[in-house]
Order: sequence, then C-alpha cells, then structure tokens
Amino acid sequence: TMNAFGLIQIGLLLSSTTIISSLQCNHLPLQQRKVIENSLRLLDKMGKEFPQQCLREKKSFRFPTQVLQPRQKETVGVAIEEIFQHIFYIFSKNLTLAAWDEKALDQFQNGLYLQIEQLEACVIKKHIQHHWRKEVSRLKLKKYFQKIHCFLTDKQHDLCSWEISRAEMRKCLQLIDKVTRKL
Amino acid sequence: ELKDTGWQELPGCQAVCGTGCDISSAISEYYDPHYVRVRAQAGPLVSPWSHTLEMVPEYVAEIGPPRLELQSTDGVVKVKVFPPEENESKKMWINDLSFKYNLVFWENSSHAQLQNKNVFPVDTIDDLAPNSTYCFKVQANLPMDGKQGWFSPISCVKTTQKAVDDLCATNLSVLALNMNFHLLWNNQGNQDVTYDVQYLLGFLKKLNDDHSDKWLSVPMCENITNTQCNFTSIATTAFFYLRVQARQGHNKSCLSREVEVDPLKTNGIGPPGVRLDLSDTLLHILISPPGGAEGEVMREHYDLSYRILYWKNSSDKEVVQQKEVKQTIATVSDVSPSSLYCVKVQAFSIAYNKSSAYSQQQCIHTPAGTPLPLVIFGIFMGALLVVLLVAASLVFVFYQAYNKIKYVFFPSCQPPLNIEGFGAQLFSSPYLSAAEEPVESCCVIESMVTEEGNQIHFTDYKHSKESSRDSGNYSNDDNTSGSKGSKETLDKEMV
Repeated sequence: TMNAFGLIQIGLLLSSTTIISSLQCNHLPLQQRKVIENSLRLLDKMGKEFPQQCLREKKSFRFPTQVLQPRQKETVGVAIEEIFQHIFYIFSKNLTLAAWDEKALDQFQNGLYLQIEQLEACVIKKHIQHHWRKEVSRLKLKKYFQKIHCFLTDKQHDLCSWEISRAEMRKCLQLIDKVTRKL
Repeated sequence: ELKDTGWQELPGCQAVCGTGCDISSAISEYYDPHYVRVRAQAGPLVSPWSHTLEMVPEYVAEIGPPRLELQSTDGVVKVKVFPPEENESKKMWINDLSFKYNLVFWENSSHAQLQNKNVFPVDTIDDLAPNSTYCFKVQANLPMDGKQGWFSPISCVKTTQKAVDDLCATNLSVLALNMNFHLLWNNQGNQDVTYDVQYLLGFLKKLNDDHSDKWLSVPMCENITNTQCNFTSIATTAFFYLRVQARQGHNKSCLSREVEVDPLKTNGIGPPGVRLDLSDTLLHILISPPGGAEGEVMREHYDLSYRILYWKNSSDKEVVQQKEVKQTIATVSDVSPSSLYCVKVQAFSIAYNKSSAYSQQQCIHTPAGTPLPLVIFGIFMGALLVVLLVAASLVFVFYQAYNKIKYVFFPSCQPPLNIEGFGAQLFSSPYLSAAEEPVESCCVIESMVTEEGNQIHFTDYKHSKESSRDSGNYSNDDNTSGSKGSKETLDKEMV
C-alpha cells in the first residue's frame, strides 16, 4: 500500500506541477522545493534540541496525510499553500516564551509568506480553488491546525507547547518535502 | 426517545411561532457536518419530521464585515483594517492572517469612479487629490475558500494638502547583476542632504500590527550623501521593501516611496565565461558559470542551463549551430581541420524565464590534419611492408631448416660400394659426423699387405716406392679429375 501511495503522490504532483507551470508560474515548483528546504533548516536553527522536560506532554496531532492525495489532482498545490498559511499563522504571535532566534524566525516566516502569495496568485488565475473547496480532506486539514492552535492557547503558549508544536510542524514540512522531492 | 437516536432538542427553538430560528448555540464544531430537522405542532397533533438538512458550518458561513479606521495626513490616507470576529473568543476564521482585504473607494463627487485596491491590514492610500472627500469601504475575502465577505460600513474622510517636499528621494530604481544589488535614486537638487536607506521584511506587512517601527537600516547605507546604495548584504532570497529617508539638518526629513524587491525575480544573470580547448578532432567548450565563486547560491536557485552558439568562420555562408547543456563542459565532435571556430555562451533559467547576455566570443584554430585517404594508404602500406618482412624471414628460416634436414637425412653423395658393410654401420659410425670435407678421390697405398704375414719386405718397399711413384703420378692426375677417377685408380692399384 505504501508503494501505491508513493506512486499516486508522484502522479498527482506531476500533473499538478504541469498545471502550475502552464500558468506562467514556472518558477514555483523549483522555488517551492527551496522554500521547504530552507524552512526545515530555519526551523532547526531557531531553537535548540527538544527539551527533556517536555517529553511528558508530547502528543501526536495526526496530520491528515490524505490531504496530499486528493481526488482532484490539481489541488495538491492548493493543499500545500493552505498548509503554509496555517504554519505562517501559528508562528506569527505569542512567541515570547519560546525564546527562539528572531532572525531565523523572521526568515522562516518571510520565506513562507512569499511562497503563499505567489501560489495564491497562480491558483486563483486558474480557478483551481473551486475544486479544492469540494475536497473532504480540506476540512480535516483545518481541524488538524485547529487542534494545534487550541493546544497552544490552552497551554498559554508556554515553552513546552511551543516546542511540541515546532516538532509537529517539522514533521509536517518533512512530509511535504518528501512528496515534492518525488517529482 | 430522541436521545437514543442521537438527535437532540435545540434549546431556544422549541415551540417557535415563526418559520425561522437561530441555531448558533448548537453549533460548536465548525468543520463537522450537522443535521437539522423540524416538525410542526398544532395542539396535540404533531407532524412527521421534515427532510433532514445536512450542512457543514464552515462551508455555509459567510465572512462578516471588517472594521475600518481612516486617518488623513499629509495628503495621504492611512488605512487600518481590523479583521472580522476581532473580539470573538471562538472564531470561525481562526487564521485571520489569510484574509485578503479589498478596499473600494471613490471621490465624493458627482461622477464618482469606484477604485479597487488590495490592501494590507495597515496600509497607505496615496495618489489622491488634495482637499477632497473620499469614501471608503472594505471587505475581507478568503480566495482559496472561494468566499467574499460582507462590506464594512462606508467611512469618508477629507484629504489634506500635501506639503511640497523637494527633499524626498525620487525615482527609486534597483539594478541587480549576479545577486549584487544596488538601489539608485534622484536627489531633487538639494544640498546638505543625507540619506538613510531602510528595509522591511515582506511578511511583516501581512500581520495585523503596525509595522512602521519595524524598518531597519541597510548596513553601510546610513547617513550617506551619494544617491546609491549597495544592499547585497540583506538581499538573501527573501522578499522585502526598500525606502529612502532624506534628512536635512536636524528637523527636516522625508520618506520616499517604497520599492518592492523579490531578489530572484529582480536579479539579472550575468554572462558566463568561455574557454576553448582542442584535442584531436574534438573541440572542448569550458564554461565558467556567472557569479564566480560567490554565485553558487544564485546558480542553485535558478537551476541554470547554458546555451552554446558555435560556428565555423569561413568565407562561405556561416551556419550557426546551437547546443543546450546543463553541465559546464561541452564537446563538439564534428570539427573540420584548418578552420577557425568561434563560440559564445549564454546562461539561462527555464523556471524564472531569465537569460544572461552572451559571453565574449572566443575563437580557436583547428590544426591541419592529414587527409584521411592518405592516412589510410599510409597505414595500409606500412602494414603490407611489415607483413612482407615477416613472411620473407619466415620463408628464409624454413628454407634453411629444409636444407639442413635434407643434407643430414637425405645426402646426395652415396658412400663407395666396395666399403661393404659400411652402409650397415653407416649410421652408427662416428666417422660420419666428423666428415665435413668431401670424400677424397683416392688414397695412396704405401705398403702391400700380403697374405703371408705382416712382414714388410724391403723389396716390396721399393716396389711400393715405384708403385707409389706411379701411384703418385696417377694420383696426381686423378686428383684433379674428381671422385670417379679415384675409383679407377684404386682398382688399378689392386691389380
């Protein structure tokens, strides 16, 4: 089943990239790979290794992997854009207690922001968002990020909740990286 | 009995007189499907349940109006947009940064023309007519969800007179080559003006907070007097804004317009370097990528390829050939000798639809080569010669060997017949191998061996002398006549 999953991903991303390329958004697939690479690097750079005392509180949020294999092939790009939007939002405020490297954090946010804006422009141009709206997995994705947001709010954005969230975002980006690399 | 089936009574919507009810209190999970049904009641009579309505709150919800604040200063209007649900603890649209705000405004005159502008939460509207009243309204949209929000109430404001400020830097432009960035601007003919170039990271404008205090100075471009700034140090691949603050004295300053910079889109790729090399009939084109040692980042981001143009510089019509490669070494194999070949190379990025200028033309002379048929003939003749030599020596060796064998095993000279038994012992006699000289034609018998005994008489001796004398004569004669002659002589002696 894993092999089939991999094949589906390749196929979907291939077709979605073909579509994005034809929108005069040719640089997006290449830029996206770089953004993901960079984001993972900066995510590691902004903090230290996971604190031992937070291991007790660690929980799994169960990222909905099926969002990267939707029924409509073109919507994988939209899914990635939405994921970036959510990550961008999470890392935008209440970061005092996390005590991370501000410069790395700024660059992380800036990279995501540029990609979001450019992806959005291309997607809207080709009306792909209409297909995305009907996707069932889209709601699962919103639920996933809602869970993380509520978790942070409940824990009042303390250090452990931030570190757990950062680890979760790393997992999420790594998954997108894997899907994008298979291209 | 309702609880068993999962259905719950909706509080506040029991025994409702009208044909509508607010069911918000029952909606808590915005991403889950909800099911609603209604039935009528008239006294004790109850109708059957209506058809079940299925809905997902997030899907049907509409975006409410944002809040708009305006401030008119210095000929421009500063706009601040507060997202919908700003004071709600439980939000439908959690990610309030994903909104795209569409500002609609018009001059409050008879023939008002509506203008649309996509604005950030904190933004500025300029290019407005001074001392006029403008009206604004804004809506929050979620384009990815295909939603357009409700418009805010209309708010109007009067613009002020813009102070004529010739201090400001104007005509900001960016020049970029191989990721070396320069900002240039115009001084409006002022003296004693110092400039401060500032930058703002792009994403900060997306946030709901005021970013006016987030501008940072570009290193080496603070308090400068010349009208240009090298901002390569901050131009990583991120996206940012630039502006120039002009200062005169202690209290006069002016901020220029902002310039957006997306480094990878703005940057120009410089031409690569070319070197040519020859080996046999191959022309090697060695490309040195643009940007040199520091240009590695640029090459990686653009995923550069190279377009090679090469042609033979001859008096006839030149045919320019093209080759596209990703590596920095290319080889042309079909070069003709004694010709001048010229090459020029261009770097390009398919992804970003950018290409550099062509490199300087490099030319090289191919050496005079030996014509091929002559070469083939020469090789053939050489091979032929070698073969002949080998064959000749082999033939010689075999001939010599044959002769030897023939001499040894099949000699042409037969031994004399009177040497009886000689033949039988022929092969065992060692005498044979020593005989290098031809057999003597005759031998001189100096003593007569009689049957009586071994005594040798003097008379006999004399006899023999005579005979020897005779023999000598005969032998002398016969010596010259050959082997056959010797046989006769011997016979005579015996008698």
